[in-house]
Amino acid sequence: MSLPSDYTNEIAALNREILKRPSGDILQTCFNFFARRLESQRAEFLLSQRHSSQPGMAESNFPGNNPFGATSTAPNQQPAMHSVAEEEEHDFQSPTASSFPPNVRGDASPGTVHASPNSNSTPGGTFGNFGFGPASSNRTNPPASVTAGAMAQQDSFPNNYNMNRRTSVSAESLAPASADDANWKAPSFPKTQDQINRLREAVSHNFLFSHLDDEQSAQVLGALQERKVPAKDVRVIVQGDAGDYFYVVESGNFDIYLSKTGKVESGPEGLGEKVASSGPGTSFGELALMYNAPRAATVVSTEPSILWQLDRITFRRILMDSAFQRRRMYESFLEEVPLLSSLTPYERSKIADALETVKYPAGSLIIREGDPGDKFYILESGEAEAVKRGREDKPLKTYKPGDYFGELALLDDKPRAASVRGKTEVKVATLGKDGFQRLLGPVESIMRRDDPRKLERSPDPLR
Amino acid sequence: MAPAVVQNIASRFHRMSQSAADKDYSAREEEKQKLADWEANKKPLEPEEIHVDPQKKPVGHSSKVLRKEDFELIKTLGTGTFARVWLTKLANRKNGENNNKVFALKILRKVDVIRLKQVEHVRNERNVLAAVAGHPFITTMVASFQDTETLYMLLDYCPGGEVFSYLRRARRFNEPTSQFYAAEIVLILEFLHEQEGVAYRDLKPENILIDAEGHLKLVDFGFAKKIDNRETYTLCGTPEYLAPEVIRNTGHGTAVDWWAFGILIYEFLVGQPPFWDQNPMKIYEQIVEGKVRYPSAMSKDARDIIGGLCTVDVTKRLGNIKGGAGTVKKHPWFKNINWDELYHRKMQGPIVPHLKAPDDTRNFDEYDAEPQQKEPYTKEMQEKYDRMFADF
Repeated sequence: MSLPSDYTNEIAALNREILKRPSGDILQTCFNFFARRLESQRAEFLLSQRHSSQPGMAESNFPGNNPFGATSTAPNQQPAMHSVAEEEEHDFQSPTASSFPPNVRGDASPGTVHASPNSNSTPGGTFGNFGFGPASSNRTNPPASVTAGAMAQQDSFPNNYNMNRRTSVSAESLAPASADDANWKAPSFPKTQDQINRLREAVSHNFLFSHLDDEQSAQVLGALQERKVPAKDVRVIVQGDAGDYFYVVESGNFDIYLSKTGKVESGPEGLGEKVASSGPGTSFGELALMYNAPRAATVVSTEPSILWQLDRITFRRILMDSAFQRRRMYESFLEEVPLLSSLTPYERSKIADALETVKYPAGSLIIREGDPGDKFYILESGEAEAVKRGREDKPLKTYKPGDYFGELALLDDKPRAASVRGKTEVKVATLGKDGFQRLLGPVESIMRRDDPRKLERSPDPLR
Repeated sequence: MAPAVVQNIASRFHRMSQSAADKDYSAREEEKQKLADWEANKKPLEPEEIHVDPQKKPVGHSSKVLRKEDFELIKTLGTGTFARVWLTKLANRKNGENNNKVFALKILRKVDVIRLKQVEHVRNERNVLAAVAGHPFITTMVASFQDTETLYMLLDYCPGGEVFSYLRRARRFNEPTSQFYAAEIVLILEFLHEQEGVAYRDLKPENILIDAEGHLKLVDFGFAKKIDNRETYTLCGTPEYLAPEVIRNTGHGTAVDWWAFGILIYEFLVGQPPFWDQNPMKIYEQIVEGKVRYPSAMSKDARDIIGGLCTVDVTKRLGNIKGGAGTVKKHPWFKNINWDELYHRKMQGPIVPHLKAPDDTRNFDEYDAEPQQKEPYTKEMQEKYDRMFADF
């Protein structure tokens, strides 16, 4: 003779509740507890009812009571707080894109294959099976009840948002510190200036390349390797295969095919439908520069052609190495600044994050005497000198890479006591007082925790 | 009745002889009793109790005595490319005692972990879970253990299933529900970043479960990494939730979780994330541009907190700027949250799952049976890799 498990379960929950919130009024507490349980259960039941009977209508009221009325204090507040849930469907089309192409592939600029396995045509509709996430990957279908709801609502999501579980993605592990990386240098394949200009133009519209600085850009363009495609009907990319390379077309032509099944099938129609073609100056396969996702389409040559190719690891290594080196350089510069000597390594890395690189042509004025000081500078490359008005021929000090100036601007905005001029072309890393305070608060308080007298010492010749 | 008594006496007799096997048996029984005791209360630890050597905590240790046979596998709760999570009960308890004590057991085959190059991620996962075990809103790894071919992580079972399922069913959450869940996430991120120096790196509704009392549990620490004050570079996460600095590979840190947190709040309130396209490259292009569009009906405070979190410049991103998580907690959107009560689970969750019994699995999907064919873990692999799993 045992009690029903439903009952013992409820009583156990009640026990936990009583333990957590001891109350003088036991009866009232028990009553409140069960009243809440009932309310929440009914809400959930009603919600599921509404879903099956009126698809698309079920959203405005979420089951459960007001989470902030822990002791049911403010039920009358609730309606006012539903504003977001109640906005009209058509008011909110797509959160970002101004329009959504009716055809999934319709947006592909000619010749650009967007390696997206995540189309309606792909069963499962997530980013392929590369991603990992032990507990959640490959679980593409939500529970039946959820699927029903989601399907019914598809038409109210004008941009076809994929309602399924999303698979995690990850690229090869990249660590700059490991031993085999120490002597890594990006490969460089010789190219004519003409070729480089064409390549630069070909990738200029791709956001992965548009953020690169000059050095990174030169390295990336140098690392593009020529690949000859000797004949027509060569499959450079096969839909469903692992993504490894990104390609720019130097000469020739390629056709792009999309198979509805997500991979190439056997037989004459196995490639699927031709959706675009790709000529000189176009590129395809750029998702492969991020991580290994299955290819979204097949690319076949229509004549002998020449491609430039770049693999993911090389690309990401170039980006990582230059970012890594710059960060370490900034951190070591910052370590040398007495004003900032009490920063923890963590704080120093945050400040290094906030440093901005600025370039000045030879002879330009970096700091003007008499201007209010608002920025601090570290000289990254080139040479500069500090001069007083009227004594331009007698510099107070010259600066070499790694030297810093203007750091007292972090403390206050007193006028600059001298000017700083670049003797050569210079590159500086700079940080404003506002940026510093936003990250770490006032400099004074940082310094005080180390040595209050430091405020009086001035390592800055500009003062 | 009589044979059982005889057996009992016999086993006692054996125990007196102190054979190695019996010592092992009693150590296992003792450990299982501890597991059962923990399961009965699932009492979260105070922050200072969490931050001690996992071997000395009530939860999170590496057990040298537990075995697969100590658990009865009931049903698959989830599968991945190299892991399967089972609902389990303690097995072999005398007279059915502790039969109602249930756990989730995550099982990983070493050979798969090695083949998929996930050794480092799995080690990170175990070590982070051990370090954080006891936090009220993070899945508790009660213990980990291994045998020749397999790694095991014994986790608490969250019968409510994924927030993802509730969100998709409800289409979107109202503001109080979103605030409540978001607030529990803030406590998780505050703890992971500021106490443990850990970046989680895969925040999304799919990885957040609801426990029996309606509180959240963050699960799946496959990408979690202790980074302290160094940046890291490996791209990982979920496309819609990737932070711009991850896409651009300029090095990233705990700030990526604050970005993802902004995306999460947006998805709670709107029903889908702010950056979306069928083509993932277009998603990434939108992310690095970072222009979030809000539905006209979204409250000012909600826009403000999402905008603060989804700031491309990490040196301006809410959560990463001065004050860290404390600044997030002070945001007006959270003005109704009592943070101390929240940590101590005194606030009532908006969804409390309705369960018939502690082992009710109605909130989980059905999964296919485990494939029969299994690659063997060879002697050579064992010699080469087993030291990598030493602390499991």
